[in-house]
Amino acid sequence: MRRIVILLSGFLLLLPLLVVQVEAAEKVGWVGPIYKELSDSLMKGFKDYYKKTYNKDIEITFVRPGGWPVCVDKVRAWRGRPDADVFLGAGAPAFEVLEKGGFIVPYKPKDWDKIPAKWGGMKVKDERLMWTCFSPWIVTNLYNEKVLKSLRLPPPKTWKDLLNPIYRDLIVQTLPYASGTQHEAIEIHLQTFGEKEGWAYNRLLAAQLARFSTGSTDTTQLVARGEVPIGVAQPQMNAMSARADGYPVKDLLPDKTILVPEAVGLLKNAPNEANGKIFLDWLFSMEGQKYVLEGRYFPARTDVKFSVWGKEGVAMAKHAQDALGVDSFWDLKVGFINYDLELATKRWDEVNRYYEAEIYRKLRELKSSLFLIEEVEGEVEVAKKKGVDVSKAEAKIKEARRLFEFDGAYATARLTASEARALLVAASR
Amino acid sequence: MSRGNLFLSLLLWLILAIFVIYPLSFLVIESFKIAGTNDVGIQNYIDFFKDTYYLKTFGNTLLLALLVLLTSTAFGLPLAYILARYRLKGKTVLTALILLPIVLPAYAGAFAFMVFFGKQGTLNLLLLELGLVSKPVNFIFGLHGLVFIQALHLLPFIVLSLSAGFTNIDPSLEEAAEVEGAGGFKRFITVTLPLCTPNYLAGAVIVFLWPFTDWLTPMIFGQIDYLPSISYINIAYHFTDMYRKYMGIVSVVVSSVICIGMFLISKRWVESKKYTSLSKGTTLEGRIIEPGPIKRFWSYVYMFLIAVLVLLIPTVLGLSAFSRRWVLTPIPTYWTLDNFRLIFLESPGLLKNSFVFSGVSLLWGVAFGLPAAYLITRTRVRGKEALDFVITLMLAFPGIAVGVSYLLAFWEGIPLATHWIIMPLSLFVRRLPYFLRMAHASYLQLDVSLEEASEISGAGKLKTFMNISLPLLLKGVFVGIVMFFIMAFQEISTAIFLYRGGWETLPIGIFLNWHRGMEFGIAAAMAFFMIVIIFILLLIVSRIGGGIIGAAWGSSGGRY
Repeated sequence: MRRIVILLSGFLLLLPLLVVQVEAAEKVGWVGPIYKELSDSLMKGFKDYYKKTYNKDIEITFVRPGGWPVCVDKVRAWRGRPDADVFLGAGAPAFEVLEKGGFIVPYKPKDWDKIPAKWGGMKVKDERLMWTCFSPWIVTNLYNEKVLKSLRLPPPKTWKDLLNPIYRDLIVQTLPYASGTQHEAIEIHLQTFGEKEGWAYNRLLAAQLARFSTGSTDTTQLVARGEVPIGVAQPQMNAMSARADGYPVKDLLPDKTILVPEAVGLLKNAPNEANGKIFLDWLFSMEGQKYVLEGRYFPARTDVKFSVWGKEGVAMAKHAQDALGVDSFWDLKVGFINYDLELATKRWDEVNRYYEAEIYRKLRELKSSLFLIEEVEGEVEVAKKKGVDVSKAEAKIKEARRLFEFDGAYATARLTASEARALLVAASR
Repeated sequence: MSRGNLFLSLLLWLILAIFVIYPLSFLVIESFKIAGTNDVGIQNYIDFFKDTYYLKTFGNTLLLALLVLLTSTAFGLPLAYILARYRLKGKTVLTALILLPIVLPAYAGAFAFMVFFGKQGTLNLLLLELGLVSKPVNFIFGLHGLVFIQALHLLPFIVLSLSAGFTNIDPSLEEAAEVEGAGGFKRFITVTLPLCTPNYLAGAVIVFLWPFTDWLTPMIFGQIDYLPSISYINIAYHFTDMYRKYMGIVSVVVSSVICIGMFLISKRWVESKKYTSLSKGTTLEGRIIEPGPIKRFWSYVYMFLIAVLVLLIPTVLGLSAFSRRWVLTPIPTYWTLDNFRLIFLESPGLLKNSFVFSGVSLLWGVAFGLPAAYLITRTRVRGKEALDFVITLMLAFPGIAVGVSYLLAFWEGIPLATHWIIMPLSLFVRRLPYFLRMAHASYLQLDVSLEEASEISGAGKLKTFMNISLPLLLKGVFVGIVMFFIMAFQEISTAIFLYRGGWETLPIGIFLNWHRGMEFGIAAAMAFFMIVIIFILLLIVSRIGGGIIGAAWGSSGGRY
């Protein structure tokens, strides 16, 4: 028995030594939440470029442990000894956190000037050079054309349209803390409608949902598959990408929205800093930006014209033009809100917690309360037409709705609605 | 107590201390941290138990676990009996088929079911077209769907452990019962089933604890109100909210403690019912019955039905693999080989990683599990209960907990996480109980007096182990090896936290391609590829292994 154990444990201990890792001469590492199409495209483009320019091969590693909050956590777990050189992807809030943690250092890529400083009131690059947007996009909604058509429903155009009862159980969204885009959509509601009204809107929207998805990619897939025809809070290029693949999916630019500057930054103590910088320079070059578009993200340079690129053989240029309807991303006309990034960053966790506690966890209560209010409202209307004096019941049911929407007091609102119904019955007698 | 046993025990403890206790202690410490301060305290735990939401998720998980266990047992019991006892043609292939669901990462199977059973899935579209329903039927979104998928996924554990149990029963016991007049069903209930209890529980514990650690399957079906899912979401998506992260870790710790409690109860129960037999080893195949034509017919029907359900997964994945944009039509309309062209560019590396990581972890698992099972069942080494306890702890730990704690523990200080060895290491630690449980159950069924007889006759401990114990244990051990390898091969939730560029395994490749955006074809092609490899592997192994494996899987020996 003993001998076996000694043999086995010896084997066990020696095994790792048997393997010698072959070190490649040149390396660069990325970490970030970008989709695989983009990472594949950039890998191909940058490898070719590196070979062409330095006559050497470069080995690229790309780590995508999940959505951008997960990527930020990954960098945090590395505790100052990063396993990558570049944080690739995610909007300004992610970089705010990275900067606060001291995980990124400033760098000015060569064609930095070709990126606009601001657009529609939103920062597109950081003046302290901590991050620069390489691909802009807008928070949109997504719908499945084919399914909506088969249901004979028009696509909803505005945020308020989503509350129309015809879309009940046909909408999907995720939780704000599971997706940065979803969080930003809620922040848009709060900043557009006002805080109270924004939460009221989200309560009403929650009652419209078929289900919650587990992340924005999940939302995209559910809409593309037609499981649920309308998806809230989607990166704009998802629709372009899906259409290029032949899915009957379209994006909806809502009336009020914001820009998300998908950005890139250099990590502190990057193991291959020189190559990281070469990559950043290349990413903002005209060639790098073409690979961005081929990777199904919009290019950020101001001097890009899709029509010109289309003639030069960039396959995605036509799809981008179709999706956006303009020749350059920056030509888009969008109803931007005056987005307060500082406020948004400050209350990030607070918004997520409130949504989870007051809407997600109380969803059943929320729905039963709202549905009762709607029922009684309907009864009031009918009684009114019959000539019954409904003034008391009407006031009561209005109070119930106010309690529901603005106070989120679902149980009290339900009780008040019952009282309104009792008043109505009394008045009808 | 011999010095050898003590030395062995110390060695095992050392390994556990470094690779289990040390990293997991980081996790426990983390759970006591109070967000926004440098303090520690039990505030997180108080919050957890005060919060009705967490209690609700716990209740949901418990209900799910019970239903999954009941369902998989109800479907697995007849299957295991058929496979273990009846002499039927084509049993090898069917057995391998029925084993398939566990080699797949749970989410690949779940996605296949969504494509087939979803509201716009094949089945609903066909039903709508035929006019049998007017609105899409909700087949899978909800508790019923989760139970269905997890029970199917875990069915092999029940079937494997039960058929090992049926095979291990000394035929003379059942024959005695029949001679005494307890025929058919009565014999089955009063003799056969009780004799299988230890084996059954080895599998049942794994099945029961699974819903406590699987976070991804509920999430795919849009259900996050289960303990593991909410822990995962809290930990993975906390971003700047440290309180959320700590609450996630608290729920991991709490669910682990509960799982371990349940496990201990089942263990007590098994040990109080030590059914061991002296005449072990008279036959490797156990009792084989030549079924009559009616039994034979229904056996085939039953196996066929289960096989159809199981085969649905590779079929749907296969169809997706050879097509693109398969939505809103019962079968794909656009066929292409492009997915395979793409994956053959990246898969060789993934495949190599998968085999190397699972293989290395399997070697360690056997090297560790056999002596551990020996110590736990056969010796009176001090602390053997604790040893068992710590190893089984891993069963109740969600992969994410292992991943997070390994990253916390092995990045600075002992910088193992910078070397690829962390991948097989984490697999080894995470899947250890799978091997140990099987070896343990086999040891329990092997009466100690056989070994004692050998030692009294002058054979040393090593000789006894090699000549007596090992051959008699082989069945259980082999099942353990197969299970371990399969489970290591499909592991993702730990690996996803630890992998670095270049260490991607096949499941990680599937996951990354699934997140590619909308196109499922590439991920499906990878999953399909993985099924084919595993299936070939299973067939080859069962052919080379001959009788032993046949017996281990409940198949009749020497027929292939």
